[in-house]
Amino acid sequence: MWVALSYACWGISIVLALWMLYDWFKIDTTYSEEMLTSSREGELEAVSEKHRI
Amino acid sequence: MARYTPPEQSKAGQVFDIAVVVVAIFVALWLPLKLGLAGAAKSIDALDAKTWEALGQNPTMASIWEKLGYTPETAHDIIQNRFHYIIDWPTLIIMAAVLIGYFIFLFRASDREYRDVINEKFDDK
Amino acid sequence: MTIAAEPAVQVQGDRVSLLRVLGPAHVWALGVGIVLVGEFTGWNFAADKGGALAALIVCWIVGLLYTSVAMIDSEVTSTVAAAGGQYAQAKHIVGPLMAFNVALFLVFAYTMLEVSDAILLGDTIVAKAGVEGLNHNSFIAATIVVLAWLNYRGVLMTLNVNFVITAIAYVSIVILFLSVSPWTQGAVLKLNELVTPGNALPYGWIGVIAAFQFGIWYYLGIEGTTQAAEEVRSPARSLPYGTMAGMITLLIAAAMTWYVCASLMPWEYLGITYYPLWDAGKLTGSALLENLLFIATLLAALASANGCINDAARAWFSLGRDRYLPTWFSAVHPKYRTPYRSILFLLPIALAFAFIADLNQAITFSILSGVLQYTFMSINIIMFRKKWPLGSIRRGYTHPFHPLPAIVLFCLCVVTFFAIFLGFGSQLIAMVAFYFLISLWFHFYRYKFVRRGAQFTMPWPKPQGY
Repeated sequence: MWVALSYACWGISIVLALWMLYDWFKIDTTYSEEMLTSSREGELEAVSEKHRI
Repeated sequence: MARYTPPEQSKAGQVFDIAVVVVAIFVALWLPLKLGLAGAAKSIDALDAKTWEALGQNPTMASIWEKLGYTPETAHDIIQNRFHYIIDWPTLIIMAAVLIGYFIFLFRASDREYRDVINEKFDDK
Repeated sequence: MTIAAEPAVQVQGDRVSLLRVLGPAHVWALGVGIVLVGEFTGWNFAADKGGALAALIVCWIVGLLYTSVAMIDSEVTSTVAAAGGQYAQAKHIVGPLMAFNVALFLVFAYTMLEVSDAILLGDTIVAKAGVEGLNHNSFIAATIVVLAWLNYRGVLMTLNVNFVITAIAYVSIVILFLSVSPWTQGAVLKLNELVTPGNALPYGWIGVIAAFQFGIWYYLGIEGTTQAAEEVRSPARSLPYGTMAGMITLLIAAAMTWYVCASLMPWEYLGITYYPLWDAGKLTGSALLENLLFIATLLAALASANGCINDAARAWFSLGRDRYLPTWFSAVHPKYRTPYRSILFLLPIALAFAFIADLNQAITFSILSGVLQYTFMSINIIMFRKKWPLGSIRRGYTHPFHPLPAIVLFCLCVVTFFAIFLGFGSQLIAMVAFYFLISLWFHFYRYKFVRRGAQFTMPWPKPQGY
């Protein structure tokens, strides 16, 4: 049982790691670098206060 | 004061900088392990008589050791494995000097950079 | 606490930012979640260093150190509310080089803590299974990757999960405490027979000082609450509240843990076991308690690693955003609104160390970076009050008795450095040498890519004395 669990853990790790790599690739190719790195310290207040979440 | 415009860093330069940081991290964490510097001075003060009494365990303690699956023989190496705290003055002095020197450098260099930041930030307005 | 539906791509103009969704309960979950694992393993090495009584003494004295940390941190962070926490504080108060170092302290402390958690979790499962040849690597990999994935997918879910598992782990300590009838000695608990005048301080007072090193582990990481500053709905209120509530929770947990464990195990065993609370569960003779504490150990390790990934990634992200490191790291995921590249970058580093380091070493690296950071904090608060005296800017929280907490904190840091010297002096020198070299690199090379005035983002008046 424990050995099976161990293999399941490897399986989950690989699947999720691949998914993250896929998502990363997709995001980086879909959006521009300027947009992705546009977060600025301190400007958040002004931006997020407008939206009620 | 003129506004400082930093140079744009090339892609290769960015990758190189990341590599420098990663290598530095691994070296810093790895070297002490490799050189065997890690770990405190602990050594076993061996006893001839391996009984609970000789090991300084009263009946309550002995019953708990037994509950945990130990015998006086197997517990001996755990109980008699002791620290030997010795203050090695040269190392202590080196350590103190390194730490104090590091913090002095940090605060002084930071202050120099900080004055630029404050000048640029508040003189522009 | 409701799980708000995360908006799909929410982009203001052409900007993406982290999402402000967290409340005080999340702050508590982040702080206590990271730390609580310390009760399940780590604090007990203090007993190894100086005996059972030494572990109790440092529990209180280091508790005082951390109460100072929490108070100081609450004041500064309720005023400087930005991701990166102490990093942003250092940048506004001391200067860029200090900020760079503080961010590295944070990333190291949290990544190594995450590594320790994953090793603990793997080892616990292997010990429980008792199967010949079963290796802990698969469990370590799953822990780190699954939690990184959770962090990648959004901060709200990450901290909701943390809240639940931290609460279960905490409640299990309380259940253990109540079920051993703590009000009577002799039935289950045998404190007076296990901690005797003869063995309470086997090494004398030098042992108590040496025990400081692992006494830190009772509370290490509570200051991580500040990393959430940019994602909390009202940082000026939630951060002090969540941090202080967390500190109180931890003081209670630490006292209960010591009392139960010291009353059930001889100090020589307590000092070397990796699972003091799980062992305590076993020694009560109740299978139910044993299993409960086994699960709680796993959950505490998970909660801690989860919070650490969150915090380390925020600190790394902030470094990228200010160009202290390549801006590439400062990307925010447009859909999940997380610093996804930082999370992914730190993932293989954590994995590599988890596979090669051992628990003790990972813990020591983490403690070292933590203590360097607390030393900074004690000086930082004094400079903060000097540059912006009370009344000159709006503070969310003002800590009492200034400068007493700062002085206490500083003195206790010095004692802890001495304690580390007694056990891991060469490692300390190696680490400081590393920070020194990388500081030279930053000061003389990397800093040229950093914008100057733009780093200062708080709407404050000019500091006094400049």
